[in-house]
Amino acid sequence: MQPATPLPNSLIVTAAALLLPLLAFGVIMLATRSRHRLSAAISIGAAGLSLLAAVYLLVQHWQMQAPLIFQAVWMVSGQMTIPIGILLDPISLSMFAVVAAISFLVQVYSLGYMAGDPGFGRYYGCMSLFAWAMLTLTVSSSLLQIYIFWELVGLASYLLIGFWFDKFSASEAGKKAFVMTRTGDVAFLLGLVLLWLQLGTLDIPVLTNPATVGAQLSPGMITLTALLIFGGIVGKSAQFPLLTWLPDAMEGPTPVSALLHSATMVAAGVYLFSRLFGFFSLSPTAMAVCLTIGTISMLLASTMAMVARDIKQVWAYSTISQLGFMLMGLGAGSLFAGAFHLITHAGFKALLFLCAGVFIHHCGTNDMFEIGRQGGRRLKSAVVCTIIGAGALSGLPPLSGFFSKEMILGHLLDSGHPVAFLAAAVGAFLTTYYSFRLIFIILFPRDSGDAPPPESHDGHHHAGSEWPMTTVLWCLAGVTVVLGFFQTPLHDFLARAGTGFQAATPAHHSWLPVAACLLAAVAILQAWFEYGRKKARQIGWVEQIPFLADLFGQRWYLDRLYRYLLDTLVYRGVSRLFTANDRRVIDGALDGLGRSTIGLGRVIDWVHGGMIQYRLMIMVAAVIGLILFIGWGG
Amino acid sequence: MSILTLLFYAIALLIVVATAMAVTRRNMVHAVLYLVLSFFGTAMLFYLLGAPFLAALEIIIYAGAIMVLFLFLIMMIRLKTLPGMFFPVGQLLPAILISAGFLVVSSVMVGRNPAGWAPMPAAQASPLAFGVYLFQTHWLAVEIASMLLLVALVGAYVLGRRVRGPSADAREEAP
Amino acid sequence: MIVPLNHILLLSGLLFSLGMFCTLARRNLIMMLLGIEIMLNAAAVAFVGASLHWQQMEGQAIVIFILAVAATEVSIGLAAILVVYRRTDSVDPDMDAALWEKGGSR
Repeated sequence: MQPATPLPNSLIVTAAALLLPLLAFGVIMLATRSRHRLSAAISIGAAGLSLLAAVYLLVQHWQMQAPLIFQAVWMVSGQMTIPIGILLDPISLSMFAVVAAISFLVQVYSLGYMAGDPGFGRYYGCMSLFAWAMLTLTVSSSLLQIYIFWELVGLASYLLIGFWFDKFSASEAGKKAFVMTRTGDVAFLLGLVLLWLQLGTLDIPVLTNPATVGAQLSPGMITLTALLIFGGIVGKSAQFPLLTWLPDAMEGPTPVSALLHSATMVAAGVYLFSRLFGFFSLSPTAMAVCLTIGTISMLLASTMAMVARDIKQVWAYSTISQLGFMLMGLGAGSLFAGAFHLITHAGFKALLFLCAGVFIHHCGTNDMFEIGRQGGRRLKSAVVCTIIGAGALSGLPPLSGFFSKEMILGHLLDSGHPVAFLAAAVGAFLTTYYSFRLIFIILFPRDSGDAPPPESHDGHHHAGSEWPMTTVLWCLAGVTVVLGFFQTPLHDFLARAGTGFQAATPAHHSWLPVAACLLAAVAILQAWFEYGRKKARQIGWVEQIPFLADLFGQRWYLDRLYRYLLDTLVYRGVSRLFTANDRRVIDGALDGLGRSTIGLGRVIDWVHGGMIQYRLMIMVAAVIGLILFIGWGG
Repeated sequence: MSILTLLFYAIALLIVVATAMAVTRRNMVHAVLYLVLSFFGTAMLFYLLGAPFLAALEIIIYAGAIMVLFLFLIMMIRLKTLPGMFFPVGQLLPAILISAGFLVVSSVMVGRNPAGWAPMPAAQASPLAFGVYLFQTHWLAVEIASMLLLVALVGAYVLGRRVRGPSADAREEAP
Repeated sequence: MIVPLNHILLLSGLLFSLGMFCTLARRNLIMMLLGIEIMLNAAAVAFVGASLHWQQMEGQAIVIFILAVAATEVSIGLAAILVVYRRTDSVDPDMDAALWEKGGSR
């Protein structure tokens, strides 16, 4: 920053956009928590202003050629300075806009969804906190700053997942989310520290410049740090093996799931990857690992979604699967494919979650069979928007998902990983299958009654507060429909991101879209056959194989594995060591100290007390010592 | 080497032997009597070293009053020999060590003074001169010493009073 | 000509250590007191010798006072021993054992 010249507009606008949610958080938590409407107004106002700022910045810098950096020195320690700053380039601006938009929409939606909840004010406070943390994460200029806000986002997630904290499973889910992401963050921190030690700086432009990094770090070190940072991504984006926290995180309110656990927070991992794409692409090993883990997560999560009964869990597994898909695209070497899918996924996944929220709000249950039975199909907006969203998810033209999926599939085909391509194809098939399974279960329930809906999730039910929810649904549906056609402008925009971006677009394989659509059609037909027909038994082909049903239903026994590992390694291994240390070493030392003090006291007691002749002896010995001292020493 | 030197060594030998005997007697009366002999020797030593008045005082006060006081008490207590260990084990070795240590240290300290090795000329302090000197220069200390003796007198009387209550002698007489 | 001062001082030291041994090694209050008397006497010998060495009468005056103090101390000490004997029926300096046998309190 040049303090002499007046502050640039962009800086003021960005800083305002970042600080307003923080201010909202402070005001709400301190002052207006009991005033529900006021809290909501403050939070939505801040979010709206951030959205306006994001749009302004996007428009202003659409033609930017070089990234804008504003940095100041935050801390100085010896030779090292820790900067704090803002980095505006196409990648960060687009993510900034996405986060701001979805935050705003979800907060408006929550007016309807969370109405009547006693924690309304606290909810909006935490939402503002999240908005601040996520927005600042996207425009951070150094890796350390990203890490700080990464953790803050995790904190907001914890607060929001465990929002209904008197429900035991909710608070447990919050803890699980936090601890699991934290485990990944340990690796992230290690990679960060290694990088800092080697390079002396953590600025993103420096990190993504292959010349400087390649000169100072050995390839082995690059791979090591890349893998460590990728560990953090695995945790935050719920990839294999740290994926079981995301389905449990559905304990939080549905808008929270829409905002955090589909569109923005879990996407922070993928965003970090695209942010550091220049750095990661220096290490082929890291890219290959990314590709592998993305593939595994995609397939695993899809299989788990096939047998799920809870509507939110289906979409949660779908999120994991789609994030894996994005990582596959990035790992195959295309920054644009992954980033584009990130943006479109944010749109339609949030849409799907919000529709699920409408169902849950009306029917009071998460179970999709129950929702169907209670006449969920009568909620017209929700049903139509769900179909639109599911279509985007399955890659049906002309929805946005079609375009982004094509890009990734094309890149996988071109990048020389045939196994990955096949896996992606299988994953796409399964995605379509489970999405339409859900739709058909809701649309065509078995033994449907017209039973009145029971008490909804929060015990209060306002029939009048519908318009926030439906309006937002239609907004997002509209975005989903049109976003795909912005592919080329977006591509050109992101191409100006500079280093790390491969400007080469793959050759269009004209057979690829057709093949993908056919695959999707087959999947829809299968879902129809099993769930939609009049005479269908609504039992999937997977559920008929008990072994597979159990395997998928128990999340491939990953939770059991973790429990087992924790029990043996931590409780029976490390805890025992520490308990023994605590008891024998620390307590023993203190007890020994006490005992030795008492023993010393006994010795001194013997010296001082007891028979007079012993005391006399000691006195005389002391006098002799004194004589010696005076005679020879002194 | 004059007669006085020989006399000195003889008296010194007497004193040391008598004191050693006094220290190691089991019977307390014997010990006191040996010590009286030692004090006689000390008196002779004082006379040899030119303090005839002090020699007389040593016999009268030290050997004559103090030791007799000891004998009185020993008779009152009726314990001529103590039962049990003569020299207790736990005390004997440390006592020997400490005494020997003191002896060695003091001897070495004394020996470091070179002026002390020259023989001294004989002299005699006549009682008249000594008395004049004492009461002229140290009259205050003499007064204080007499006060001290008064305190001792009163204190001994107070401590020795027989208080109402059971006492060793009374119990011994009871059946 | 008589003996050098150091010889007298050595004699005094020897007597002193004998007295110290008597005080420390006898399990008898009366013998302890006796040892103290021996030590005082040894100091008196040293003073007289020093007085002859420097041909002053100071040393001999100090011996007068040693005598007075010794007398005082013996009378009070013996009276105290008598009190102890009346309480505990023994002249053992190990008070704990003596009181324990008699049943008194520490």
